[in-house]
Amino acid sequence: MAVLDDTREMDPVTTVPALPEADTPAPKPRDVSTRRGLGDRIFRGGASLSGVLVLSVMVAVGLFLSIEATQALRSTGVSFFTTSEWQPDRNKFGIAAVLLGTVVIALVAVAIALPISIGTALFITEVAPTWLRSTLVALVDLMAAVPSVVYGLWGLFLLQGQLVGVSRWINAWLGWIPVFNVAGADPHSPLSSASVYTASAFIAGVVVAMMVMPIQCVVMREVFSQVPLGEREGAYALGSTRWGMIRVVALPFGRGGMIGGTMLGLGRALGETIAVLLIISPRFDINLHILEAGANSVSSLIALRYSEASGFGLSALMAAGLALFAVTLVVNFTASWFVARSRSGASSEA
Amino acid sequence: MKQQRFAGAAVVIAGVVLALTCVPTPTQARDSYQRISGEGSSWAANAIDAMRVNVRQFGMTVDYNPSGSSAGRKNYLNGTVDFAASDIPFQFQPEDGSAPENPAPGTYAYIPVVAGGTAFMYNLKINGKRVTNLRLSGQNVARIFTGELTVWNDPALVADNPGLVLPARTIVPVVRSDGSGSSAQFTKWMISQYPQIWNTFCDKSGRAPACGFTSFYPTLPGMIAQGGDLGIAGYVSQGFAEGAIGYVNYSYALGSQFPVAKVLNNAGFYTEPTPQNVAVSLLKAQINTNEADPTVYLTQNLDGVYSDTDPRSYQLSSYSYFILPTVVGGQFNAEKGKTLAAFAYYAMCQAQQQSASLGYSPMPINLVQASFDQIRKIPGAVVQDIDISTCKNPTFAADGSNLLADTAPQPKSCDKQAQVSQCPDGTGGMSNVQTAVKSGGDPAAPTATVQPPTASTAPPAGGGGATGGGATGGGATGGGGTGGGATGGGATGATLPGAVTDSTIAAGDPTLPGDTVQVVPGLGEPGDISVDGCDPDAGCGAQAGVAQVEVGAITTTTLKAEPGSLPLILLNIVLVLGLIVGPPLAWKHFSRKSPA
Amino acid sequence: MTALMDDLATSTATPPAGTAMPFVTTSPLTTLPDRRDAAGVPQHRRVVGHISRHDVMVIVGALISAVATTMLVFGRFTPLDGQPGFTVVAFVLFLAIYAVLVSLTESLPAVVDRVMTALLATAAIVALAALFSVVVFVLWRGREALSKPNFYLEDLSVTGPLDPLEVGGILHAIVGTLVMTTIALIITVPLGLACAVYLTEAKGRGANLVRTVVTAMTALPSILAGLFIFATWILILGNQRSGLAASIAISIMMLPIIIRSADVVLRLVPGNLREASAALGAPQWRTVWHVVLPTARTGLTTSVILGVARGVGETAPVLLTAGFTATMNANPTKNPMVSLPLAAYELVRSPQPELIARGFGAAAVLMILVLALFTVARIFGGRPAGRLSKRQAKRAAARSTADLARFTSRQEGVS
Repeated sequence: MAVLDDTREMDPVTTVPALPEADTPAPKPRDVSTRRGLGDRIFRGGASLSGVLVLSVMVAVGLFLSIEATQALRSTGVSFFTTSEWQPDRNKFGIAAVLLGTVVIALVAVAIALPISIGTALFITEVAPTWLRSTLVALVDLMAAVPSVVYGLWGLFLLQGQLVGVSRWINAWLGWIPVFNVAGADPHSPLSSASVYTASAFIAGVVVAMMVMPIQCVVMREVFSQVPLGEREGAYALGSTRWGMIRVVALPFGRGGMIGGTMLGLGRALGETIAVLLIISPRFDINLHILEAGANSVSSLIALRYSEASGFGLSALMAAGLALFAVTLVVNFTASWFVARSRSGASSEA
Repeated sequence: MKQQRFAGAAVVIAGVVLALTCVPTPTQARDSYQRISGEGSSWAANAIDAMRVNVRQFGMTVDYNPSGSSAGRKNYLNGTVDFAASDIPFQFQPEDGSAPENPAPGTYAYIPVVAGGTAFMYNLKINGKRVTNLRLSGQNVARIFTGELTVWNDPALVADNPGLVLPARTIVPVVRSDGSGSSAQFTKWMISQYPQIWNTFCDKSGRAPACGFTSFYPTLPGMIAQGGDLGIAGYVSQGFAEGAIGYVNYSYALGSQFPVAKVLNNAGFYTEPTPQNVAVSLLKAQINTNEADPTVYLTQNLDGVYSDTDPRSYQLSSYSYFILPTVVGGQFNAEKGKTLAAFAYYAMCQAQQQSASLGYSPMPINLVQASFDQIRKIPGAVVQDIDISTCKNPTFAADGSNLLADTAPQPKSCDKQAQVSQCPDGTGGMSNVQTAVKSGGDPAAPTATVQPPTASTAPPAGGGGATGGGATGGGATGGGGTGGGATGGGATGATLPGAVTDSTIAAGDPTLPGDTVQVVPGLGEPGDISVDGCDPDAGCGAQAGVAQVEVGAITTTTLKAEPGSLPLILLNIVLVLGLIVGPPLAWKHFSRKSPA
Repeated sequence: MTALMDDLATSTATPPAGTAMPFVTTSPLTTLPDRRDAAGVPQHRRVVGHISRHDVMVIVGALISAVATTMLVFGRFTPLDGQPGFTVVAFVLFLAIYAVLVSLTESLPAVVDRVMTALLATAAIVALAALFSVVVFVLWRGREALSKPNFYLEDLSVTGPLDPLEVGGILHAIVGTLVMTTIALIITVPLGLACAVYLTEAKGRGANLVRTVVTAMTALPSILAGLFIFATWILILGNQRSGLAASIAISIMMLPIIIRSADVVLRLVPGNLREASAALGAPQWRTVWHVVLPTARTGLTTSVILGVARGVGETAPVLLTAGFTATMNANPTKNPMVSLPLAAYELVRSPQPELIARGFGAAAVLMILVLALFTVARIFGGRPAGRLSKRQAKRAAARSTADLARFTSRQEGVS
């Protein structure tokens, strides 16, 4: 067999430049300066200006709210977090009831939305045939775009009538659980009023759940669609069913995204104003019975009282709003931390 | 190419926006009026909305936001609105712990624009038929709204309603959640008449020691709070709100076509706040006539109204005010003042013709004249020398007395307290619907069935047909559905019945006992009440052991709590399931064994 | 190796005459298995991967069986009653019966798989049913108001609460929404896009700080934006409630959302495009203007439209800052102005059925507007930077063909 033998004579291809004479100065590296032209300077200045402007607006909002709120907080001190009543002009006000009510409504919403959103996300990515997939994705995104006042109207006029029956049923059969207990109502008697089940945290929670569900579903769908094909096919090759693959591969992979999506939905549920305002009847005591009439949330309190509040009352409202903002901020940052940390989330934009 | 497309799109969008904004607006040519905005009372909102609609024909544009009296006063002080409408004057020293309001002295003037009654709209049914003739004493009203009375068939309420078999349904008081002049008037009356009941309530709800009258009604669990008189009316009229009762202006009950409770007055008669009764009651209101002190000039003292002994009076009658600026400043200038003055003139003069058809009571002549003088103080006002007779106000009589109050009909004798039965006539927005009442018998037996209607005797003068009651409800000029509603436009609308007098019963007319009244079908339901021993307390379930909730409400899963029923149900379910899933499982199990 | 090949060549029978293939044998190497089972019955090929008739029958059968059983349980054998109980019990029974039916022919993991698939499908159906219910309910309740032309052409300035639906409309709300959205767009789009460009082009601590603040501000509840404007613009600065105040409040709320999504889109522009532009000597601003922005154009349009859809539907900031009016007002600087969500909110709180119908009509118009915006965003966007649509690809191909013709004609001209 012939061996490649390249011993032919060739001209050398590399030439070494001649050294300069001894008395010429040694060459220095070229000074590469980033002196930008006029256009670039204007561009960078303008971009920086817009950044500074946005930053200042945002910081101004935060600062203004904080400064106004401290005026109220100074007079109550720590009791701001433990008082339930809201009578700022008598210096007796606190967010114990309203913030707790906000959290209760948000938790109810997330609890109802979570199984639906996980199920829908899994259905879209795993079960649905390809021709159906894009339609479903579009429909879920559409659900996220519907304005909250529309959901509020739907909840107030349609859902409240239906859910009163459901609340009564839950109270009748699960009333021994403290959360589902309703004070002063006898669900087995037809003459106890149905009003005690209206305007409750449960009904508001269901409406907010419908708003929160598409947000969670979008994030989870993103995450589940990034399950590595190799792991997925490996599970099938080992003989697992589709559900087995989901349980073993997709769910662990998407755990970060699921948690992140849930917390994102929680953040949105905390800030929801109009739907809650339309449905609830405000009460200012700590009420953990979600089926019972009367609930409250910080945003609906602000919307209710802003117009008739004195100067001090307005500061108190801002303090409550700031507390809500802080809670939402913590939830959102925890969500992005979880998503970024997870296998799936590092490249997603949640 | 791209730029052309963008430019084209921009032109199209600009054109669309321009076209939409240049829609023809009503002629503004006659007088150049500036657009003004006001905010405040929802109690008076129906009247003010009608005024706002009617002045469009003169080219005036008025924006009104019925966000509550407190919000109205607050935003007036902030300068964000040009005038405010409030049921109570500025509170310099509030007794409920809210912040004092300190308007600059000499910068505002009050004019009373509407008079009306705070009515108690309720939603109650007996055997599926809506009750329209409920009566309440003042004390019971106070006890209901402070949470002391919790069921409708409480003996105190049964004593007020001997003709009704009240069901054992929970009472749900519906109150205002926002800062409300209605709440203020209501609590003022309660404190004046029933201070102990109020103070106990104030303690229980955590407001003590600031227990003065308040615009922010305290709540207890079991009460529902809604925003605005509209909110209360909207809630009480829902199907699930059976057993609810709330306080609203009379016009809202008329508009929603719901009945109001008749309240006992000091003469021992139960009355409702019809325009005539309110006019009678307000004759006793003391209006401050100290023109030197604008902070109290024309404000009202209602103690005389609370203690009035006229049989036709209704205790919770009151006036509602406009707060008008008397100096320029902030957003308010002389141009706006001209518009505001013209609007105020209209409100005090022509608009009063319509008050009665809306459910309010027209203003008496002395207050109209005093208001005309106040309106002069608005900077920029074009003073109108109005001949007061051209206002066609139903209260104006030639001799200066209140014609409306003078011609107000006396209450029927069946409306008197402590009779054996009560009037069947409906009230409020259901004044044309009667409710069957028991005749004689023991009013205190809650389970007594309602006696079947016997052949009615010659209808007493009071029963003058089912429509006799309609007139008191306030001019049923509308078509079927709008009993008592506003007809809009500058109509003379006040078909104020002189005709009402024919249903008056002379005092002492002994037509009551033994009266039986035919039930008039209302709302399309069958006329006869079921008399087959249906126990109203337990409902009229068709199935044994099932308690059905009545028509219109939500059917619920209820279980008659019979002992031992739960295990039986479970056994049933298990047996049924066994019958369905057993055979296939058994077949599968056995067929697996078959191949050798 | 040659030894092996020699073996192969000699081990088989001689090939038939005329063929030159070295490895062909006469006895076949492939044997077909006997497809009959032990009893001699021919088997059917199993179908995998799509739903067979048997599966469909099983589902339908389980459904009918469950409903029938529930009707028995609820109607005849027990005094249970109520719609929600019926649905819950029927669903549980469906799952149970379905599981039993599937277990007749499949093994346990397959049964579990089928039941869980049914549950997932139920979740999707519930979600879609909710969406469907919302849309249909709002359209249904507003149909009487929506079907009248005066609804779109008149405002409520001469309409009392008891007037019928033939009088009055929500033109003032439609114009209000348009005006507020236009002003909000004018404020947020240039500012937001410039800030997003700043975030992607400028490296360093400043950009990171702005990015963190913007991310934090997306968590701001919308009512606080309204409260901020109410406290500063209206109370401190003494202006009246107006459309302008509401627009500023909406802008504060929309700005972080637009910046964040624009930032994401701009970051997806491939770096090699920027480098190629820089290599050709373009200054940074030219790179951004001619390369980055056009490449990201569809994504930016999508994020702007989504931000606008969010801003249009917001009620809370407008509630606090825009006042309430029933009359048309196209001037944003003075006098109250309502938007569609605010009008819907105020109108449905009344007990009058005509006003409630108008409120639902306003909500329906708002919903259709937002859904239209959203559909436009989906049509526009959805493609990552650099990928062309079919029409664009065809046009690019046509241009290339034209260029090729130009080149060859020049070459032919020369040669």
